[in-house]
Amino acid sequence: MNLRVKFTKKGYLKYTSHLDLMRLFQRAFRRGNIPIKYSEGYNPQPKMSIASPLALGIESEEEFMDIELSNKFPEKEFIKIMNNELPEGIKILDVKYVDEKKSLPSIVGWSYYEISVKTKNMIDRNVIEAKINKWLSEREIIFERIKFKKGKEIKEVKNIRPLIGNISLVKDDKNISDDTIVFRCLLKSGDSGNLKPTDFLIAIEDYLNLNIEIEMADIKRLNIFAELEGKIQSPM
Amino acid sequence: MINRTSFDQVLKKAEKPARYIGMEKNSISKDLSTVDIKFAFAFPDVYEVGMSHLGLHILYNLLNNEDYIACERVFAPWIDMENEMRKEGIPLYTLENKEPIKNFDFIGFTLQYEMSYTNIINMLDLGNIPIFSKDRKEDDPLVIAGGPCAYNPEPIADFIDLFVIGEGEEIVLEIMELYRQFKLNGYKRDEFLQEVSKIEGVYVPKFYKVYYKEDNTIERMEPLIDGIPQIINKRIIKDLDKSYYPEKIIVPFIETVHDRIPLEIFRGCTRGCRFCQAGMIYRPVREKEVDTLLELAEKLVNSTGYADISLTSLSSCAYSQLQLLVTKLINKYNEKRVGISLPSLRLDSFSLDILKEIEKVRKTGLTFAPEAGSQRLRDVINKGVTEKDLETAVSYAFEEGWSTIKLYFMIGLPTETKEDLLGIKDLGYKVKNIFFNLPKEKRQGNLKITLSASCFVPKPFTPFQLVGQNSLEEFNEKINFLKNKIKDKKITFNYHDPKLSFLEAVLARGDRRLGKVLVRAWELGCKFDGWSEIFDYDKWMQAFEETGISADFYALRERKFDEVMPWDFIDIGVDKAFLIKEYQKAKEGLLTRDCREGCNNCGINRSFLGGVC
Repeated sequence: MNLRVKFTKKGYLKYTSHLDLMRLFQRAFRRGNIPIKYSEGYNPQPKMSIASPLALGIESEEEFMDIELSNKFPEKEFIKIMNNELPEGIKILDVKYVDEKKSLPSIVGWSYYEISVKTKNMIDRNVIEAKINKWLSEREIIFERIKFKKGKEIKEVKNIRPLIGNISLVKDDKNISDDTIVFRCLLKSGDSGNLKPTDFLIAIEDYLNLNIEIEMADIKRLNIFAELEGKIQSPM
Repeated sequence: MINRTSFDQVLKKAEKPARYIGMEKNSISKDLSTVDIKFAFAFPDVYEVGMSHLGLHILYNLLNNEDYIACERVFAPWIDMENEMRKEGIPLYTLENKEPIKNFDFIGFTLQYEMSYTNIINMLDLGNIPIFSKDRKEDDPLVIAGGPCAYNPEPIADFIDLFVIGEGEEIVLEIMELYRQFKLNGYKRDEFLQEVSKIEGVYVPKFYKVYYKEDNTIERMEPLIDGIPQIINKRIIKDLDKSYYPEKIIVPFIETVHDRIPLEIFRGCTRGCRFCQAGMIYRPVREKEVDTLLELAEKLVNSTGYADISLTSLSSCAYSQLQLLVTKLINKYNEKRVGISLPSLRLDSFSLDILKEIEKVRKTGLTFAPEAGSQRLRDVINKGVTEKDLETAVSYAFEEGWSTIKLYFMIGLPTETKEDLLGIKDLGYKVKNIFFNLPKEKRQGNLKITLSASCFVPKPFTPFQLVGQNSLEEFNEKINFLKNKIKDKKITFNYHDPKLSFLEAVLARGDRRLGKVLVRAWELGCKFDGWSEIFDYDKWMQAFEETGISADFYALRERKFDEVMPWDFIDIGVDKAFLIKEYQKAKEGLLTRDCREGCNNCGINRSFLGGVC
């Protein structure tokens, strides 16, 4: 029995890591007496897989995981019991039994983010938008970064253009302060390619030179999409 | 409440930010405006360490069980977080309501190890609370402290308003009740402190004056006001089985040092190892009943979702019904995949059957503590373990499939010689031979032996409380001697930093005059001194130098039988004469039997009627 679970990770809970989240769910399953299956062997682990691990500090309106149950557990009851066990910020929104052959992480293709950043040289939002559109019309966007592997510096150069689906700028929201830019962007996510939202910010800052405070950005994942036979759709 | 916007900014920069957010399962966040007393339970180390401490879970839930009290937690922020908090002007706050600790009625520090003392000063400062007790005003919180290090409270007497000596479960509620009465009828800080010092087990340092002799030893200590006791008796819970134990404990988001259910099976220890402070101060032995423990285990598994239950005590194998308890727990939880662990095994009471039972569920590395390398020295410290015990235990473990063995030793024990040190090496090699003497098909895994040596620190209320510690030179010489002798791919030799142990010895047996040194060291930037990567010995030495206080005086000097110890005004129920007699027996290598085999007249059964020992 494979149960697909849609949940949020919001508020201060964004400061828990992917591993913390796995542990938190395992304990909640145990407290809630959810009949989850365990792996065989020396150190049995509950059978669960999270669609696309979220980096520490990023919020999400929509996360997915698959869990394997030993017998069918009523959907509504599952949601009720689990939400009672889960902390504020992590909430199960929906569940559905699926008989998927492919693993959840392997079908995930895209993540849709909302990124809010402060900038020290704010310019007209229409100008920013025009620049972004020009940026996206390039065939290649080269992203360079220095990685540390086994104490050695390795320079990684890649074309990230195929990893960016679209970018839009939120312009007419009165709640956005004058020194803040809010992007929405669709970025590749999962086994078939991945662009971290923070790397996206570094790349866009490189191009726009807006002096944005990257490490202070508020990042929220709004959706996760699967890509099945070329079509983008919800995993649910 | 602290400023949420700047808090959010700070969290973005912090390493492991989940340390600072609270909100865990079973944490209790009350409306602070509706309670009479706000109590901040303060652990002077990082979250992961503090959350692994059983006392925190007991007292947190005990206090929150009272409707009129809100108990919230506060830990020492790690250095990166502290820097950001100071930059943003965020005062130290509690995890539950994110309320500055300055707004609490009590800040309660738990004193688990001496090397956390600078963190206490730092936390008060970060909370905008005057660090010296004498500088606190009417509306400042009362700073209260308890725990094992409170048995010698003197080094931090300048910073703490009141100490609790002994076990806290009953006395803390007596203090809260008294405080509530004062608050209803017009609270005055000094009047409260006078009244509270009449409760048995409470020590208010500012009401006592210490007189010193010309040679810097203590002449006497006297109460400054009438009606408070000359001698402070420790508090104990007489009936541990009926005593409060939480049915829910907070489940942290992040991994902590002990990430499991702590099930306390008994308090006290009858072994009488002569170096061990816990073995003396927690007397007499008091057990919980098997049925009580099973009931608690059930509730805790259901309320936490933890996959491990750890049976905690000073020496778990000494629990009289261990076999029964373990069998019942395993039968019950095997299917639920909840494991059972015994953190403190003794070689002599090593029960093969019990280990076998536990192993059915999960197998981890094995740790033994022979403490000394030779039988002679093990007799000196009254660790009644023989080489034969170790051989039996290790052979069994190897046959059952273990291959990682850790052996703990102390160096610098009284009367230690080169032969005793070589005994450490010999035991390591002996264990290796036992492994390779097994037929090849019986050997499992890759053999790994770790010999770990710590530097002996003489502690108050032990038979060795008078002993002069080895100097740094002596410790280093011994460590190098062993390092050069132990050269084997299968055997790793680890050792503790002697500098840290030296300072621990100073603080453990220090008096009030060390307050000056602590403040100076803190001003120089000392904190998290128990963390070897942060500990800065040179700054400490500078602090001693600048305050004109000799560290050697406290650590290295062999003290005389008739010298007044800074902690002599505390009565733990074990007679000073017994401790001296034990020290003399130690020097002659004479053993003292386990109290379960017959009374050794330590005094505890005269001091605490109702104790079983």
